[in-house]
Amino acid sequence: MKRGLAICMGFLSLLLLFTGCRKKEVSKTATIFAMDTVMEFTVYGNSEIMPQLEATVREMENRLSVTVDGSEVAVWNRGGSETFSPDTADLVARALEYCRRTDGALDITVCPLMRAWGFTTETYRVPSAEELAELLEKVDYRHIKADGTTFCKSAGTEIDLGAVAKGELGNRLIRMLRESGVKSALLNLGGNVVALGNRPDGAAWRIAIEDPGKEGYAGVLQVTDSAVVTSGGYERNFTQNGVVYHHLLDPKTGLPASSGLLSVTVVGADGMLCDAMSTACFVMGLEKSIEQWKTYRDFEAVFLTEAGDIYLTEGLESSFTAVDRYADAKVTVIRA
Amino acid sequence: MKIRRLTLCAVLTAMACTLFWIELQIPSPIPIPGVKLGLANLVTLFAMFAIGPVDTLLILILRILLGGLIGGNPMAVAYSFAGGLLCYLIMLLLRRILGGRQIWVAGVLGAVAHNLGQISVALVLTQTPQLLYYLPVLLVSGMLTGLFTGLIAQFCVLRIGWIK
Amino acid sequence: MKTKTWIIILAGVFLLGLIGTLIVFFRPTENKIANLYVDGVCIRSIDLSSVTEPYEFTVETDHGSNTVRVEQGRIAVISADCADGTCIRTGWIGERANPIVCLPHRLVIRIESDVVGDVDAVAR
Repeated sequence: MKRGLAICMGFLSLLLLFTGCRKKEVSKTATIFAMDTVMEFTVYGNSEIMPQLEATVREMENRLSVTVDGSEVAVWNRGGSETFSPDTADLVARALEYCRRTDGALDITVCPLMRAWGFTTETYRVPSAEELAELLEKVDYRHIKADGTTFCKSAGTEIDLGAVAKGELGNRLIRMLRESGVKSALLNLGGNVVALGNRPDGAAWRIAIEDPGKEGYAGVLQVTDSAVVTSGGYERNFTQNGVVYHHLLDPKTGLPASSGLLSVTVVGADGMLCDAMSTACFVMGLEKSIEQWKTYRDFEAVFLTEAGDIYLTEGLESSFTAVDRYADAKVTVIRA
Repeated sequence: MKIRRLTLCAVLTAMACTLFWIELQIPSPIPIPGVKLGLANLVTLFAMFAIGPVDTLLILILRILLGGLIGGNPMAVAYSFAGGLLCYLIMLLLRRILGGRQIWVAGVLGAVAHNLGQISVALVLTQTPQLLYYLPVLLVSGMLTGLFTGLIAQFCVLRIGWIK
Repeated sequence: MKTKTWIIILAGVFLLGLIGTLIVFFRPTENKIANLYVDGVCIRSIDLSSVTEPYEFTVETDHGSNTVRVEQGRIAVISADCADGTCIRTGWIGERANPIVCLPHRLVIRIESDVVGDVDAVAR
């Protein structure tokens, strides 16, 4: 009996040596370089979906990017086929709707201007007034006449879906994650953040808003199932003769928008709407943005003004915390 | 070893392992190492008060070894041993002092001792004094879970009584 | 001893533990250095405040591997082949005084002190 017990114990201890093999994948992070930026996906639970997510990113990039030769948008810009695939047509139609809704503060035909300033190629220059005036002729979303999946263009009209594509991508990825049963995920599409559900610990996701002037954060938003998109002149710009020129051009003047805002952060369930509205609000300025918010009430926003003040719509009152340099800033809540 | 005693120990070990496994399937709501329900402790507690210290020790050691196998983590065995043995010693001490309606006290103090044992081993192995920050948390969680398992064990002992 | 005596003693200990827990979790700290310890030996020290580009690296030990991600002001274990995954579930640390601990791998990541609250992502 004693010998038997000893043998059993010896066997057990031997087995213990082989126990370190079980694996538990709690979360998976993938870094993808696409659409001119670095994307980072963190998915909790089902991580097998990662390759599918990446495939979707590639598919959308190849379909919509102006810089990808042979993309539907590139072909359309060159004056090739005026008909889009249903998905692209839907996206363009929605984008045009946002252009109308914001009265051209967002304009997907701003492409020629962007090129003239060198923002597409990073060979920055300041175009002359005459050049801008000439280019502005071509910039108007109303030049595009939509009919089903066919979008007729005027001469020289070019579109760039950069202001909405990442938003739509976020929507799609979130839909895919939901369908595969993922409850918690955080997608960072190059600073365009989309949160699914809550953090795995059950708390709301904490998304920081970058401080436009300095390293660090201006504030932290606690969100659940939301997209958080920030637009600001600090993202991409160049300095010439002491003047800073940023990439958020006002489609009306052709110049970098100077509306008194440093950055606009839009929060909402629809990533594409957030993407479009963050750009549009930055161009429109505070007053007109508030009007938009009061009319549609389909997004919430945080505005950082050049004066150093913070304005937020009332839906974010309890989820926003100013931090760092902004901890003592004047916060005004916009109410309906 | 009598067949009856062998069977009893085997059944209780199996129960302890099952409880241990069940607990592994429940994700811990608090991401602090060491915070757990300690369901398997229920069996140790019951055995200590219903059978006797010798058999309890046997069941405990077997459960820890088998638990290492189930959990798939050999390092955890070291922590379990330290915690389990300290817990055992406390229960052994309290066995004579406590009345039948006070078994829950052994549950509470046993769980606390278990956590203390684990954190001591962790301190030695990781050489990280900051782990002591966990001490109060583990004290609180140990007392709560210990009370829970202790009350259940007490209920079982009172119902089933001393097993010869 | 009477049951009542036990209750009073245990309740006292419990209260002390509760107070201790609160003190530990709300303990404020000042700078922001993350130190990585394997087997109690500091193998790496990172100034989290000066991180501009997020990066990742893997700590390989005899016990297993943990992939650590570092971003401005915070650090986390994002994947590991340990059995319990506690280190991953701890998530980002940056402000909290509790360290990331991977007991199976004997890895400890600790913030010596800090300023900003922990954040999951930055919108820009």
